[in-house]
Amino acid sequence: MKRRALSMLLVASMAGTLLAGCGGDSKDAGADANADGGADNAAVAGDAAAGTEAAGGADAGAADAGAADGEAVTLKWAIWDQETTPYWGALKDAYEAKNPNVTIEMVDLGSADYMTVLATELSGSDTDFDVVTIKDVPGYATLVQKNTLESLDSYIADAGINLADFNGVTDQVTVDGSLYELPFRSDYWLVFYNKDVFDAAGVAYPTNDMTMEDYDALARQLTDTTYGSQVYGCHYHTWRSAVELFGTLDGQHSVLDGTYEWMAPYYDMILSEEDDGVCQSYTDLSTEGLHYSAAFSNGNVAMLNMGSWFIATLIANIDSGEYDSALCGNWGIASYPHPEGGEAGSTIATITGLSVTSASQHKDQAFDFVNFVSGDEGATIMAGTGNFPAKMTDNVIDIISGMAGFPTDESSKEALNITNAYLEVPYAENVSEINSVLDTYHTAIMNREVTVEEGIASMNEEVGKILGN
Amino acid sequence: MNDEKAKKIEQLEAEMARLWEESQNETDIKKKQKLIAKRNTLQRKYVAIRYNRKISRETKKDLVAYSFIAPNFIGFAVFTLIPIVFAFILAFTEWDGNNPIQFVGVSNFAQLPGDTFFVAALKNTIIYCIGTVPLTMIVSLALAIVLNQKVKGRGFFRTISFFPYVASLVAITTVWSMIFHPTKGPFNYLLMAVFGVDQKSLPNWFSGSLVMLTLILFSVWKYMGYYMVIYLAGLQGISAELYEAGSLDGATTWQKFRYITWPQLRSTTFFVVVMLTINCFKVYDIAIMLAGGSDGNLSNSASVLVYYIYQNAFDYWKLGYASAVAMVLFVLVLVVTLIQFAYEKKLEA
Repeated sequence: MKRRALSMLLVASMAGTLLAGCGGDSKDAGADANADGGADNAAVAGDAAAGTEAAGGADAGAADAGAADGEAVTLKWAIWDQETTPYWGALKDAYEAKNPNVTIEMVDLGSADYMTVLATELSGSDTDFDVVTIKDVPGYATLVQKNTLESLDSYIADAGINLADFNGVTDQVTVDGSLYELPFRSDYWLVFYNKDVFDAAGVAYPTNDMTMEDYDALARQLTDTTYGSQVYGCHYHTWRSAVELFGTLDGQHSVLDGTYEWMAPYYDMILSEEDDGVCQSYTDLSTEGLHYSAAFSNGNVAMLNMGSWFIATLIANIDSGEYDSALCGNWGIASYPHPEGGEAGSTIATITGLSVTSASQHKDQAFDFVNFVSGDEGATIMAGTGNFPAKMTDNVIDIISGMAGFPTDESSKEALNITNAYLEVPYAENVSEINSVLDTYHTAIMNREVTVEEGIASMNEEVGKILGN
Repeated sequence: MNDEKAKKIEQLEAEMARLWEESQNETDIKKKQKLIAKRNTLQRKYVAIRYNRKISRETKKDLVAYSFIAPNFIGFAVFTLIPIVFAFILAFTEWDGNNPIQFVGVSNFAQLPGDTFFVAALKNTIIYCIGTVPLTMIVSLALAIVLNQKVKGRGFFRTISFFPYVASLVAITTVWSMIFHPTKGPFNYLLMAVFGVDQKSLPNWFSGSLVMLTLILFSVWKYMGYYMVIYLAGLQGISAELYEAGSLDGATTWQKFRYITWPQLRSTTFFVVVMLTINCFKVYDIAIMLAGGSDGNLSNSASVLVYYIYQNAFDYWKLGYASAVAMVLFVLVLVVTLIQFAYEKKLEA
């Protein structure tokens, strides 16, 4: 008899917990939350579970709802590479210092397949993420179409944010007139060069107004194909952006065009550079899986076209001794080369943004955090870690170029001033698929499985199918 | 209460007697069996009522058996069966994981033939299977026969052949990409230095038309050890008397293999071929590791069905279309396996 009573009690308390759990999901249960303190409510929830009263479930649901000022709130934030990226922690600490009632809980999803993992996390109707970092536009498109992100329009209007501060990049990620992310970090492509290699060859450093022809000629001039002591004039990472996006710098083209003949000159140029030993071949690089930083820090690459994120990596790794400063310590940067007819200082850009999830229970607080990170205070913190905030000002350029380890010449500082920034991938509905198709034929062309003309014809045909749908 | 019971027992007894008689008179063997089975059911019922058993002994037996199967089956149902059934349904829908599911009939399947990337993946998967299955089988059988002889250091060589199967895929693919590196690899250096192949025309083992060959050779090398062990077990099951009798009749080594070893190994070969085929159709990791480059993207020359399923499901979030491709893969494996079973049955008869 005693045992039966015990088991009944167990069952009852379990049922109670179950009810309490269900209550937590209902959104309207938060109505009376503001009346009591959060801690009191938690206690009520505990009692309710033990007492197994049906009504207890509803009360318990109120425990964590509502985000009135002064109430303890925890925001869950999706990020990547917490260990190696200094600004996540810096942003969290600064925000928490300013808002003592808010705790930011960072969840590291890893960088390799961050957007895929995030999309999986946000699938289904329930998630406990409040703020998510948006790494790239295809991933952003996916999340917007899955209705997992909250439109920020009304919040932006209420907070009085001037979108013009973001240099127009927000226009390129606006979906049907609504914006679902605020960029806090923006990177643009530059040419990194190794001054020692230039000095050894007795060649003048690249200037900030190179045309594509100048760049190609310079790379060829620096090349030394002697076996055993090769010097490569330039280096292209295996990414598609490193090769074909030179074509977008005239402002006339983008990867969403559907016709891609404008890429042909750049494929031709780089394949011919491969043939002449000016750069390492794509096939070799992809077989080895060689990272661009390893290529540049080897000291036998004269120029590397890469995003501005590499500045912080270079400074940090030369400082820590991971890269041999005798090989690559003497580096500089120059503006991206521009095609004939384009404007000097034009470059391609990427943005990293923050979004509020539509499932978040603390949307106002979450947006406040997003606003902080993408605003002036966040920008200063970003610049302090050597990264480029989306809100670029002269002050920011001064902070970055004033960092210890940044090249001291005027030309490198000047290179940070850009005239036009074209997003690598602007928003479009099928941008993930278009990206994959272009990647597939990029690989085929660079591996020389098909000719440039055949590859581009296939791009036109397959992207045409996607756009036609 | 008791009256009712007695009445029911009486009824059952009468019915059983009638069935018994009927079955005795029945000449058609099938009908007779049916009648007996019916009587047995009644008998069980009768026993249950007569001796006050709530559940019959048979049901009890069944329940015990089910309870032993249950832990495994519940896991299987939750993690395998339900998702499989769900995937079948998904193949006829459009769904991105969040928005409501839309039924679209067979339109996912109708799109398949016109999809360049699907056709490329399907072609590569089939080429891979046709190349890998027979080759692995032959190589592992040959290895098993050689290592079944009484040679010195047999255990050592057995271990060596089994090693690629145990070694980590990541580690051995790295080694392969170093050995077969297009410009810096020792293999191409050998081609250049010994066979005088021109430096510009050295083969590129990880892209273009050669990549499938590399995948096939890699997979044969990696899995031959495993199937060798299965063949070894099969070989050890063959009675030595058969070979002795063959020797007395003057059979050559080839004849002994042809008429003793091969037929005796038939069921082993069947198992090996079925497992190989199923595993080959599921290929994904090897392709990604060897041909995926640094970003894990497969171009049309190396794309396989499982990769395309993944891409559609988790890059494009076209879960319906991905399920449709998965169904094609499922039907493909099913048909090939059924053909193999039918052939095995024919041989047996």
